[in-house]
Amino acid sequence: MPALSGDLVVFTIASLLAIGFALAMVVQKAPVRSVLSLVVTFFGLAIFSIQLAAPFVAVLQVFVYAGAILVLFLFVIMLLNLGQEAAEEDRRPLQKWLGLVAALALGGVLSGAALRAPTPKGMRPPAVVPLADEIPTIGRLLFSDYLLAFEALSFLLLVAAVGALLLSKRRFE
Amino acid sequence: MNRLWLIPLLPLAGFVLNGLVALLAASARAEAELGKDQPKARLPYAQRLFHGVVGVGSVGLAAVLAFAALVPWTLESLGHAEGIGPVVQHVYTWMAAGDYTIDVAFRLDALSAVMLSFVTFVGTLIHVYSVGYMQEEEGYGRYFAFLNLFMFAMLMLVLADNLPLLFVGWEGVGLCSYLLIGYYYDKDFAVAAGKKAFIANRVGDVGMVLGIFGIFALFGTADFSFVDLAKRAALAPGAHVSVYAVCLLLFLGAIGKSAQVPLYVWLPDAMAGPTPVSALIHAATMVTAGVYLVARCSAVFVLAPDALTLVAWIGAGTAIFAASIGLAQNDIKKVLAYSTVSQLGYMFLACGVGAFSAGIFHVFTHAFFKACLFLGSGSVIMSMHHEQDMRKMGGLAARIPQTFITMLAATLAIAGVFPLAGFFSKDLILGSVAASGHWFLYAVGLFTAGLTAFYMFRLVSMTFFSAPRGDPHALEHAHESPPTMTIPLWVLAFFSVVAGFLGVPAALGGSDRIGRFLEASVAHPEIGEMSHGLEIGLMLLSLGVAVTGLVWAWRWYGRAAGAPEAVSPQAATFYERSGLLGRLVANKWNVDEGIERLILSPFRRIGTFLWRGFDALVIDGIANASAFLVELAGDLMRFFATGRVRNYALAFSLGVFVFVLYVWVR
Amino acid sequence: MTGTLPGVAPMAVPPAAYLVVGTLLFAIGLAGALLKRNALSIFLSIELMMNAVNLLFLTYARMRGDMAGQMIVFFVIAIAAAEASVGLAIFVALFRARRTVDVDKIALLKW
Repeated sequence: MPALSGDLVVFTIASLLAIGFALAMVVQKAPVRSVLSLVVTFFGLAIFSIQLAAPFVAVLQVFVYAGAILVLFLFVIMLLNLGQEAAEEDRRPLQKWLGLVAALALGGVLSGAALRAPTPKGMRPPAVVPLADEIPTIGRLLFSDYLLAFEALSFLLLVAAVGALLLSKRRFE
Repeated sequence: MNRLWLIPLLPLAGFVLNGLVALLAASARAEAELGKDQPKARLPYAQRLFHGVVGVGSVGLAAVLAFAALVPWTLESLGHAEGIGPVVQHVYTWMAAGDYTIDVAFRLDALSAVMLSFVTFVGTLIHVYSVGYMQEEEGYGRYFAFLNLFMFAMLMLVLADNLPLLFVGWEGVGLCSYLLIGYYYDKDFAVAAGKKAFIANRVGDVGMVLGIFGIFALFGTADFSFVDLAKRAALAPGAHVSVYAVCLLLFLGAIGKSAQVPLYVWLPDAMAGPTPVSALIHAATMVTAGVYLVARCSAVFVLAPDALTLVAWIGAGTAIFAASIGLAQNDIKKVLAYSTVSQLGYMFLACGVGAFSAGIFHVFTHAFFKACLFLGSGSVIMSMHHEQDMRKMGGLAARIPQTFITMLAATLAIAGVFPLAGFFSKDLILGSVAASGHWFLYAVGLFTAGLTAFYMFRLVSMTFFSAPRGDPHALEHAHESPPTMTIPLWVLAFFSVVAGFLGVPAALGGSDRIGRFLEASVAHPEIGEMSHGLEIGLMLLSLGVAVTGLVWAWRWYGRAAGAPEAVSPQAATFYERSGLLGRLVANKWNVDEGIERLILSPFRRIGTFLWRGFDALVIDGIANASAFLVELAGDLMRFFATGRVRNYALAFSLGVFVFVLYVWVR
Repeated sequence: MTGTLPGVAPMAVPPAAYLVVGTLLFAIGLAGALLKRNALSIFLSIELMMNAVNLLFLTYARMRGDMAGQMIVFFVIAIAAAEASVGLAIFVALFRARRTVDVDKIALLKW
């Protein structure tokens, strides 16, 4: 039983938040509410990131994910004026039940696998990264080891932007 | 003469030439007469001349070459006490398997010399006869082509130095038999008869082929050097095959080819072919191939005495069986056909008791008188405008005297009247049977001799003596045949009279030249000794039996008058009184019907069942079922193609689950 | 699993906990993706799944002291952004064509 520390408390709260609102997201019928629930979940995940010595990622999580992507979702929902998910009776309950089963099963299996996997020994010496130095490290890595990926990524973003524009264009009849 | 291969080659060339010309001329004629409905007419003179010259010439020339080869050899052989060895001429290597080769090689020894002599001689005579007999036929060229091809095959058979090459000739004569029996291809029964002949031969050929394999297994070779090995009983090391079985297999081939019981049924039907064909193929040459085979392999048969006994019994059985049928036949050619079967039985009887040279001697004499009889019957048929039923003949002696005299001579020969050929050869056989101790078989043979005399003289009586019963118009116009037909008759009749003198036994002061000549080639196991007195006594006995038969037939049939049905009142009463036996004999013992019921019909039913039941239901069913299964699978699989993303995602996750599970467990 | 990085305090919370939470979130996201009919909701659930995976990567990065994990997360977030924009554009186009974003109604590939 790990010692009760601040970290542990924070972790517990954050996980409750995250899991709880994730469930809420799934259960909610209105898309807007789902999005908002997910925003809270992302905040929880951001807290996790900080705890895991990745503050930059946490910030990214909040700004980009919660701030940009989910807002985009909101925009689209409002654009399409999607209301309540129509409560039709599902003619095929099999999908629902099986889906639930699949999700649970997969989740269980994955956690089991994750827990069992031992920590590999003999890895690279850990980067001596004081928390304050994390961002420069990331920057350095981006432009050295991961340069190709970085450039490709920028290209990808360009393509995505163009694609999104094209796809959502109204045809001029 | 060191080119034996020319002898079969000449008729082959004749076949090619005749065949080509016949084909080309026929197609030219067909084009010219397109649309016109011409009845079958005889060929133009020039073409007939060509076919005749090539046909007769090729065989005649082959005969000349044959005698040029065998006469010097024979003379030289006779000059030496032990005879000289055979002449073997190797032409080329046909098959080679490792060290062993099967060559195209020809052999001239005593046995093949005897066979060669009468095959070429009688063959030439029959070709000459055919020139006259077939001249009205549109298929004249085709006829001579096939006849030449037959001579080629027969000569290959006789001259071959090994069993495979012999088998080539064996099959060739079977093929030509089929082609020539079915010569009148527009007549259904002729076509059916041709098929029947071929198939019956084929059944025998199964045994023949297996027998050849057996010989190879026994002696390590299939060329006739195995005869020497057999004489010394020198089987190949590791020979696991039973000699008995091999002999039986070879004999099975002979049964098919030489029309013994039970594979004789094709020969009477084969009379559907032209008469010269019957004379050549089904009297003088092809059917004797079986006897030749047994004689050639005599040394092997001697090693399996039980097989020989079986041969003797089948021979004797066939002889009496066929003779009994011949008594009641009304078609002149059918009588002769059954007579052939019967005489072939005698030949096998001889071989069966070990008197192989006696069997060959009978082959030799039989060729002459049987060919004479067949050709004579052809002459009769022609003069009576294609009438073949003897009940509609009668009184022809004065109108066709040459035919009459020659046929009478041949009849006396076949009946075994001294001093004609048949007497000596038949008596040699009967004497050997008696000397070997098979008294029951002797009795059978003796009785059959009586039957033979009877039915043959019945034939002569019904045809030439007795009052005319036929169509009076036909009778008026009955005239003798042209010289191309009568000259061969005279020649054959002459030989029917004198050929016997080659085999005069010691008991009568002769030296049995042919028997001793053949000793070099065929086995001559020790048959019991008989005193000369006993021998002469038996000869007189058989002579008496023959004369009795002749006289009896004369009394029943010689003076018949009136309507065709009442040919012989005595015969009619006899048949009535003999009831079932009479009916069976008249009906050829219902053998054909029996074969149909016991063998052919079940096979047909099996075939139909396999066709409708098995093929249609099972095989097609399997094909259809597999198609159906595929369809079914497809129908079931449709349910997976919902088009809904969620379902696909589900399938996805399930798959991933399984995968992760697997990785986890491992 | 000690989770010690020199210069960084050792992990107070056992890493296993993070892993459990991460997989749990992943499972929840998967359930949402399979169970929802609204295309946008499904997409949202997929985003949740991706974030759960991010969490896992960060956990491993911390456990092993390997910065590669964080780099991966960086890229994943960026790509998620691109993907979201394109995906939503597709949904817009879809809605304009079909007047619905119910995935069950958009089953053109149905037999």
